[in-house]
Amino acid sequence: MRRPRSLLGANPPATVGVLVIAAATLVLPQVLSAPNLITYVTIGLATIVVAGLSLLMGFAGQVSLGQGAFYGFGAYSAAILAIHGWPPIIALVAAVVMTAAVAAAVGALLLRLEGHALAFGTLALQLIFLSVLSQTPSFSGGAIGLTNIPALTLGPIAISGYRSYAYFVWIVAAAVLLVSRNITRSRPGRGLRAMATSPSAASAAGVGVVSYKLRDFALSAAYAGLAGAIYAFFLAYISPDAFSVMLSIEFVIMVVVGGLGTVSGAFVGAAVVTIVAQVLTSLGTGPSLPAQLPNVLSEGVYALILITLLRLMPDGVVGLASRLTKRLVRAKLERRATLRPAAGTVTGPVLAPATVETDGAHAARADGDTVPSRGGRAGGAT
Amino acid sequence: MSVLLQYLVTGVSRGFLFALLATGFVIIYRVTKVVNFAQGAFVVLGGFIAYSLLGAGVPQGLSEVLAVLASAAIGLLFGAVTILGKMSTIASLITTIGLALLCEAVAMLVWGTTPLTYSGLSGHDLRFGGIFVQPQYLLLIGVSLVVLAALWLLLDHTYVGKAMTACASNPYAARLTGINVKAMGLLSFAIGGALGGVGGVLIMPLFPITYDSDVNLAILGFAAAIVGSLTSPTLALAGGLIFGIAEELVAGYWSQANETAVALALMILLLLWQSHRRQQVAKLV
Amino acid sequence: MTSTGAATAPILSVDGLLVRYGAAIALEDVSLEVGRGEMVALIGANGAGKTTLLNTLSGILAPSAGTIRCAGRLAHVPEGRELFFDLCVDDNLRLGAWKAPSRDPARIYELFPKLRDLSRRKAGFLSGGEQQMVAIGRALMAGPDVLAIDELSQGLAPIVVQEIGRYLVRLNAETGLSVLLVEQNARLALELCARAYVLETGRIATHGPSALLRNEPAVRSAYLGGHVTT
Repeated sequence: MRRPRSLLGANPPATVGVLVIAAATLVLPQVLSAPNLITYVTIGLATIVVAGLSLLMGFAGQVSLGQGAFYGFGAYSAAILAIHGWPPIIALVAAVVMTAAVAAAVGALLLRLEGHALAFGTLALQLIFLSVLSQTPSFSGGAIGLTNIPALTLGPIAISGYRSYAYFVWIVAAAVLLVSRNITRSRPGRGLRAMATSPSAASAAGVGVVSYKLRDFALSAAYAGLAGAIYAFFLAYISPDAFSVMLSIEFVIMVVVGGLGTVSGAFVGAAVVTIVAQVLTSLGTGPSLPAQLPNVLSEGVYALILITLLRLMPDGVVGLASRLTKRLVRAKLERRATLRPAAGTVTGPVLAPATVETDGAHAARADGDTVPSRGGRAGGAT
Repeated sequence: MSVLLQYLVTGVSRGFLFALLATGFVIIYRVTKVVNFAQGAFVVLGGFIAYSLLGAGVPQGLSEVLAVLASAAIGLLFGAVTILGKMSTIASLITTIGLALLCEAVAMLVWGTTPLTYSGLSGHDLRFGGIFVQPQYLLLIGVSLVVLAALWLLLDHTYVGKAMTACASNPYAARLTGINVKAMGLLSFAIGGALGGVGGVLIMPLFPITYDSDVNLAILGFAAAIVGSLTSPTLALAGGLIFGIAEELVAGYWSQANETAVALALMILLLLWQSHRRQQVAKLV
Repeated sequence: MTSTGAATAPILSVDGLLVRYGAAIALEDVSLEVGRGEMVALIGANGAGKTTLLNTLSGILAPSAGTIRCAGRLAHVPEGRELFFDLCVDDNLRLGAWKAPSRDPARIYELFPKLRDLSRRKAGFLSGGEQQMVAIGRALMAGPDVLAIDELSQGLAPIVVQEIGRYLVRLNAETGLSVLLVEQNARLALELCARAYVLETGRIATHGPSALLRNEPAVRSAYLGGHVTT
């Protein structure tokens, strides 16, 4: 069936969405008030981190609980270099490169482990990072942190003030998302998807399994480092409190909400989780309310998100949206065709095929069921 | 010398706590291939529930037993959430992370943020080679040994234990033989919960616990389980003792703040060594 | 080397089976019968749906339509053996009796004497033929009335396959155990079994006595290498 080539390209809903968001990013910084601008910038920074983590989780199938550490490493590197006189923009670039290098070195070792071990390994990294920070006060400012970080200057232009950062962050975020999109659409991207579902099949097809995982790991760390470096210049002050284990977990939640492996999902996840977190904090803070209520609320909601979302919306918000639009489109097409009785209705429970690939989201999900496939995957899920 | 002995006693006790945690990881992994991030939460909840029961007047001994049963029930619930229905490995892992967070939130809500403790086995401190050891330490070591021995017997030497191993070894074949893989998985989670609960009720009199103790406990318990490749309870015990003693020695002779970092670095090295060894074996077969 | 079935009601009866994988149809309108004491073959190429059929018979998959009637117990010996490789031979056998009253593997060791010396060895360290014996033994421990074997010959040397085939025939003759032999190796299947069904892309293409099928041109060219063998 030939559909007329739309001006909006192959995936109209997505293109429209992108245009709307692009317009919003141009308009919003002029319109939003100061505290909301901070939130806005925070969402932008988170989007950058999540873009990388989503790639790692959705395509390489690896869970990293250490993105907070890479975020912090980027922040501290940029801050320390800038304080010691390096031109801020060079410090920023150097911070990104250094973060990627550290991740590559560590990743080369850690990625030889299986999934669950990598999760704990990156969590260990996070804890070690925090420990090192508190143990080297002369270098990192210890628990107090670093203050008076110089302003970010691009030659004669100084980026300062919430509005400038609002534009700057989103330009960087857009660039990062574009890079991710190209990675996922290209051959290496497809190779990663194949690998997430079956490493043996992928290696048989000639896809370099370890090298792609490593590239993705280093790339996701670089993204986090970039965001962290910008964060350091934005706030002009950093301390270890900002780079906690909770932050790493929050990034994972953003990926889950947005949809593993989706590019646009990075923004959706970052926005939803950041806004929810702020709402919960304001709900839980009050004169007569217990001091820990905000934390209880946020951790509780995060927990529920993680537990329920993976069952109900395994492809995240983006996946859900694309599935709904597909259903609407299909319903419209079917109404046009002549109605024929279905060949047979599925009555009993049937098992799904080994991989499910939903188009818009490009997320491959391995089915953990017990129908045998060479190499026995996650057991117990019958 | 007596200082070293003191460190060793403390280290061994903490080591047994880690061993209990590690065995919980092992049993759940052996049956379901899931790594349970919430393992540390069982320790926290078990201890806190015992604390509340004692506070409500329930006698010593009974409180602890009830708390362990409650932990087992919580474990069962977590198991149901994690393994019922179809989920990929990455999804199960993330689900257990969510469950751990939920425990922290509940713990914070119900018991607050201050560290909690209660008095353990009463009686005079016993003398060992120049140092005084609280009886609670001996209780911890004694009970742990009994529990771990029982579990090792269960897994390696009973019919049911072998069926549990079969479930992870080959879930398809296990199903064909009529073993209810899901039920076995739930059972393993319940046992994991109970193990965590035992650890919690025994350790609380010695080292106060807070709502967020679960992360550190989980990661060290995992490190110990790794020594046993996540499948061997006896090696997990050895691992627990290694990490417990190492931690105490670092805290005593270097600095308290470094103890976790060193333990973690040790864990990473272990993980790498294991992966290296596995690759070597793979080349031979 | 064949045996014929008794004239009473079949031990296994499948009627109009429809099995789907999501939207795709794996088996359509599949009907077959295994009589008491019979050895029946199901021949088909890779991807024809043989394993799907066995998985449905043993309850792993649920059919969308059709009926399965088994007048006794069915044990499924899976393709590729699928042993518990971390456990020893003896444990593998005993676990087969999970739902059976007796866990004593003595009768299996009688049937397959070679396994006696291997009883404490880990299943992962056995040869292909030994593994196949353990797999069959494990299934037999359940005390079945029908034994369904998927790809007996897979990965085994012909001489080993012949040996195991002889064991099966003896078992069938001595105990009246019915056998459903699902195979790509048509020659083997037709040799051991009196009757056969041919499964092609999810449907039963033809069926009948092995002697006749062996000479049917379509079967010969597709499954028997095109020339007649005795």
